Amino acid sequence: MGAFLQTPKEWATVLLARADRIAADPSDLDAAVRAGAFEGLKRAVRDLGATGTIATIAASGLRGRGGAGFPTAHKWRAAADRPAGQKYVIANGYGADPAVQTDAALLAADPWSVIEGLAIAAFSVGATDAILAVRGEDAALVTLLEGAVLAAEEAGFLGDDAAGSGHRISVTVRPVQGAYMLGEETVLIKALEGKRGQPDQRPPYPTEKGLFERPTVVNNVQTLAAVPWIVVHGGDVYATIGKRGSPGTVLVQLRGPEGAGIAEVPLGTPLRDLVKLAGGTGSRALKAVLVGGPTGGLLPADALGTPYEYEALATAGAHIGSGSVVIADERACVVDLARLLTKFSADAACGKSIPCRIGLRRLYEIGERMAAGTPRLNDATLLGDLAQDIAASALCNHERLATLPFTSAMRYFRSELDDHLLRSTCPAGVCTPIAVGAGATAAGSR
Amino acid sequence: MSFIPGIGLVRGMGLTLRRFFQPKATIMWPEQHADVAPKFRGRLQLLYDEYGTLKCETCFQCAQACPIECIDMGGVDTKGRFHVHWGAPETYGERREESALRRSGRPVADKAYAPFEGIDIEPLDGILEAHDYDPREMLAILEETQAEYGYLPVAALKHISRVTGAWYAQIYGTASYYRHLRFEPPAVEAPAAGTAQIAAEASFRSALDASLGYGGGAN
Ligand SMILES: Cc1cc2nc3c(=O)[nH]c(=O)nc-3n(C[C@H](O)[C@H](O)[C@H](O)COP(=O)(O)O)c2cc1C
Ligand code: SF4
Ligand code: FES
Repeated sequence: MGAFLQTPKEWATVLLARADRIAADPSDLDAAVRAGAFEGLKRAVRDLGATGTIATIAASGLRGRGGAGFPTAHKWRAAADRPAGQKYVIANGYGADPAVQTDAALLAADPWSVIEGLAIAAFSVGATDAILAVRGEDAALVTLLEGAVLAAEEAGFLGDDAAGSGHRISVTVRPVQGAYMLGEETVLIKALEGKRGQPDQRPPYPTEKGLFERPTVVNNVQTLAAVPWIVVHGGDVYATIGKRGSPGTVLVQLRGPEGAGIAEVPLGTPLRDLVKLAGGTGSRALKAVLVGGPTGGLLPADALGTPYEYEALATAGAHIGSGSVVIADERACVVDLARLLTKFSADAACGKSIPCRIGLRRLYEIGERMAAGTPRLNDATLLGDLAQDIAASALCNHERLATLPFTSAMRYFRSELDDHLLRSTCPAGVCTPIAVGAGATAAGSR
Repeated sequence: MSFIPGIGLVRGMGLTLRRFFQPKATIMWPEQHADVAPKFRGRLQLLYDEYGTLKCETCFQCAQACPIECIDMGGVDTKGRFHVHWGAPETYGERREESALRRSGRPVADKAYAPFEGIDIEPLDGILEAHDYDPREMLAILEETQAEYGYLPVAALKHISRVTGAWYAQIYGTASYYRHLRFEPPAVEAPAAGTAQIAAEASFRSALDASLGYGGGAN
C-alpha cells in the first residue's frame, strides 16, 4: 500500500523531489543536507525574515493539504499578528484515514522537509515551540523522527539559536493514538492538552486560541513539506505548478482493482489520469470513483474529467479529504459502499453534538434498511432531509462531510438507489438479501 | 437608635401584619400542582432509543459541565467496549461536600471508591512525579499508568484526580475516549495497547475491499 507510483515525466515533483537521493538512508542528516535540506530555513532566516517568508508563501498560493485547502499564508499571518508571548506550531501527521498512508510515507521518505517546514513556520509566526504529531502506533516512524529532530538540533538547525536566527525553535515529536478524530485540528490540540478528543466550535480558530489557549498554527505535513521548496525556488515558481488558484502538488493514495500506490500529483490533474495511473479497471467497466476517503463523494464515470482540485471537487460533491482515490468497478454496489462508509463515520464520530452522535447513526440506518431490502416508503426523502440537516447543524467538518457518500450517490446514482428503494433489488447483486429475494442473482453473485 | 420605647416591637408586628395579608406561597400538594418551567427536566435519567439501546454515549460531557459534580453514569458505552465503573451511590450532600473540599484545595477522602480494588500507588506516584503532577500531560500519565498496571484501575484514576486537581469526570472522559486505553484487567493474554484502533482500521479496510469486490485483500 505504501509504494510510490512512477508518475509521468511532465508532472512536477515537490514533496518527493529529494526522496530518491536520500533513499539509501532517509535518517542521514548529512546526506539530506547535501541534497539541499535546510537551505530553505537558512534563506528564510538570512534573506527573507519572518514577514518576507510569509509573503513568499502568499505568493506561492500554497493551500492546506489537510483537506480544507485553507491558504497557508493567511493562517500564518493570523497567528503572526497576534501579540502573545507563547505561540505554537503543530505539524499534523496523524493521517486519520485508515486506508491512506501518504503522510506517513512522506515522513518516512523525507522527514527533513517536514521538520524544516515546521521550523520555517515557527520562525515566521514567532513561535518557539513546534510539535510534530504522529501516529503512536508506528513506533519505527516515531523513532526515526525523534532521531532526525535530535540530529537537526545538534547540527544547529533547531534549538536555542536555530540556523543562526537568534530565535529558539524547539521541535518535539508527540505520538498520539486511539481515535480517528485525532486528525481534526481541534481534536489534536485536545489530545496534546491531555483531554478527551472532542472538537471545539470554530471560531475562535486555533490561530487565535489553540493549544493551551495560545495562538496555534496547525498544518498538514504535506503543506509544511512544500514550504522549504517554495522558499528556495520562489513563490512564483510554485504558483505555476498545478492549477491557478490551487497550485502545487499533493500526495494521492490510489486504489483500484488493477493497482494501488501513492503518487505525487499536481493539483488540477483530471480524475481520468489518476484512474489511469492506478491501472484502470481492466476488462470491467468503471462504476464510481470514491474521492476523499471515508467521507468522500462517489463520482460517476461521466465525472472523470473533473480536475483533482479543491473547488472543482467540491462542486462535484466530493473533496480532497485524506487524499484517497478509490476506484470501484461494476462489481460494487453504490448503496452498499455508501452504507459502509457512513457506518465508519458514525462509529468514528466523537459524540459531542447531536448531528454527530445521532444524525450519522440514523443516516447509516437508512442505508442499512436499503441494503437489507426493507426500506420505508419515505426513506428517499428522509435521506435527503437528514443529510441536509446534518450538514447544516454540524459542529465540526466530520459530520458535515460524512454525508457526502450518500448525497453524491443520490445525485449520480439515483436509479441504482431507486432499485433498492422502490423495487428492493440490487443491480450489482451485492446486497444479497434483496438480490436473492428478488431473483436478481443473474446480475452476478460473487 | 431611637428612644421611643416599644418602637422595635411595633415595627416587627408591622411586618407580621403585612405578610399576613399578602397572598400565600404554600401549595396544597398533591391536590394542587405548581407551575413548572418548560425546560424543567426533573430527575436525571438516561433514556433508551427505540432499539432499546442506551442513548447515552458515556461521553461525560454532562458530568464535566455539572458545577456541583452531581452527575454519574454507569453501564456499557455505545461502542460496547466496557462497563463503566462507578462507585456506590452517594448522596447529593456527600457529592457537594467533596466538591467543595476539592475546590478549597484540600485532599478529598474517597469513600465512594472504597469498594474498588486497592492498588499499590507507589509506581503511580513515580509516574505522576515524573510529569510534575501536571494535568496537561494527562494522556501520557494515563498511558504510563496503563503500562504499569495493565489497565486503568479506578483507584488509580481517583488518585490521579486527587493529586493533579483534574476532575474525575474529566479524567474518565479522556480515558474512555481513546481506544488504546482500557479499564479492565486484560484477559489472559493482553493484546498490545494500540491493537483496538489497528483492528478497527484493518476491519474498515477489509470491509471496503469486500464492498468493492476486490478479492482476498490483493494489492
Ligand atoms: C474528521 C477530520 C479528520 C481530519 N484528519 C486530518 C488528518 O488526518 N491529517 C491532517 O493533516 N488534517 C486532517 N484534518 C484537517 C485538520 O482539521 C486541519 O484542517 C489541517 O490539519 C490543517 O492543516 P492545513 O491547513 O495544512 O490543511 C481532518 C479534519 C477532519 C474534520
Ligand atoms: S455522558 Fe454524554 S451522552 Fe451521556 S448523558 Fe452525559 S452528556 Fe449525554
Ligand atoms: S465528530 Fe462529533 S462534533 Fe464532529
